[in-house]
Amino acid sequence: MDRWLLIASTLLALIGGVWGMTSVHRNRRSHWTIMWMAMAFALQTGFLTVRGEARAACPLADPGEILAYLAWSLTLFYLLIGPAYRISLLGVFTAPVVVLFQTIALTPGVLDATPLKIPGGNAWHETHTATSVLAYGALALAAVAGVMFLVLDHQLKEHHLKSGLFRNLPPARALLVSLNRLLRLGIILLTLGIIAGFMMPRSPSATGHLVAALIVWAGYALLLWIQSTRGLTGRRISLLAIALFLLSLGVFAFV
Amino acid sequence: MELLCLGLNHRTAPVEVREKFAVVTSHLGTAARELTSLEDITEGVVISTCNRTEFYFVAPNAESAFAKLESHLAAKTSMPEGINPHFYRKEKSSVPQHLCRVVSGLDSMMLGETEIFGQVKQAYQAALDAGTTSGMLNRLFQRAFGIGKKVRTETSIQEGATSVGNVAVELAEKIFGHLSDSEVMLIGAGEMSRITAQSLVSRGARSIFVANRSHDRAIELAAEMGGSAVTFDDWQRVLERVDVVISSTGSPHTIVHRADIEKARRARKYRPLFLIDIAVPRDIEPAAGEIEEVYLYDIDTLEQLAEGARTRRQEQIRECERIIDAELAKNRLVGS
Repeated sequence: MDRWLLIASTLLALIGGVWGMTSVHRNRRSHWTIMWMAMAFALQTGFLTVRGEARAACPLADPGEILAYLAWSLTLFYLLIGPAYRISLLGVFTAPVVVLFQTIALTPGVLDATPLKIPGGNAWHETHTATSVLAYGALALAAVAGVMFLVLDHQLKEHHLKSGLFRNLPPARALLVSLNRLLRLGIILLTLGIIAGFMMPRSPSATGHLVAALIVWAGYALLLWIQSTRGLTGRRISLLAIALFLLSLGVFAFV
Repeated sequence: MELLCLGLNHRTAPVEVREKFAVVTSHLGTAARELTSLEDITEGVVISTCNRTEFYFVAPNAESAFAKLESHLAAKTSMPEGINPHFYRKEKSSVPQHLCRVVSGLDSMMLGETEIFGQVKQAYQAALDAGTTSGMLNRLFQRAFGIGKKVRTETSIQEGATSVGNVAVELAEKIFGHLSDSEVMLIGAGEMSRITAQSLVSRGARSIFVANRSHDRAIELAAEMGGSAVTFDDWQRVLERVDVVISSTGSPHTIVHRADIEKARRARKYRPLFLIDIAVPRDIEPAAGEIEEVYLYDIDTLEQLAEGARTRRQEQIRECERIIDAELAKNRLVGS
């Protein structure tokens, strides 16, 4: 049942992405991408609810659940931020990342076929996992906004202004503002996650995970500090947001 | 009863003739009443823009109605050659076809322009309020508005900027979004930079700084645009705060060097900077465009983009006409 929910959600995100890309290619704005993504989000929520009931805890006990939760968080921030900032094209760029995460989650062996109840639940542990993965959702969306900025920047620099993609991309300044806000939101959530991580009972093997999380936190904090004090070009902050997000995924290797 | 149209436009009449027949917007209703006061004319709408004046009306006999309206117009103006060489007549099925072309922007001087749609709506509303329309003209105009909307949404007849000023505005909006948070600096007070800056101001640019070798001219232009004049030696200081620079001096040498921008980068916190060089010879060193946050466009690039949009609009004409013909063929209008 839970697996089918994730499969259906992946298919909806795929349709949303393809639909959006086709619209952009035809030089039309896709108003339907957000609907497909909203339906995908509902099914992601359904998947996580079923898994949560089976685990009797926040469903973040295997790599498949972590990836699905990450995709859910990414979709959530897209649904919150995309329409509010009128950057509908964000969905076209978000959908492929959601499809990628969920396809990996669905690969045999990644998701526990029979999720077992997690004994001895702890509130700090739950807070740590939930806020950390939410933070990664925001940071992932910041990276997506970074990719969009780089595409627009390249087209503006090279004077390639005829494509449907160019016409549909939001203004460069709007992308940079969104990227900055997502980074700030991401680091606030990550801070909460790390504090909760220190408070929860943990095994000695978890030290590597916490150190990796602290390094990621320091990387993002440094990026935001430089941005607010000295300033950074749009290209650099975008590249750094993408690079830091890809590096930060390494934290999950220590889970 | 027949649908008829008598009109003149930028193709058939020079401006000194067009202005004789122009009707100010507030008098469109009165003009429509005057039209229907002529013998046999039962319904009437008068459209008047800077490029056209057209009389749409309904009468039982085309030839006699045209003759009466033409003599009425000739009596109002003193034209030795008469009005006939400048006016065109449309009858029956060519009337809805012409009106659809007009509202779709296909008959405009600037192909695909959108303003005409509102102007025709305004003229129709004035006639409606004056009580000079009835069944036939109401159906004609409602139908033309529907078809005009369809043409504009289903084709790209109105897409792309077709003038250098509009291309600059579109690019500025692509970089900065709403221009209400953007500041602009003009280096040189030439006509092209004035037009381009005006386009940016009309779209909400927050403030304008004008730097010119002749400070008096800078003050004059700044006053015209509600901006501030700065001395020519001061433009580098202003560069630290502005988002858009339009340069069009008559200098034979480069005015804005890469090094000038490099110097201002830190103070600008590496914010995007849009440089528009509309001078020949160029004012801005091309290497300035290699700086990460700088988007540099010269006059050739802007003109090519405008020309590209004009060509794309031209290519859409056939498709627009196909939609108009197909839509009109669905239901034949009474009197056409």
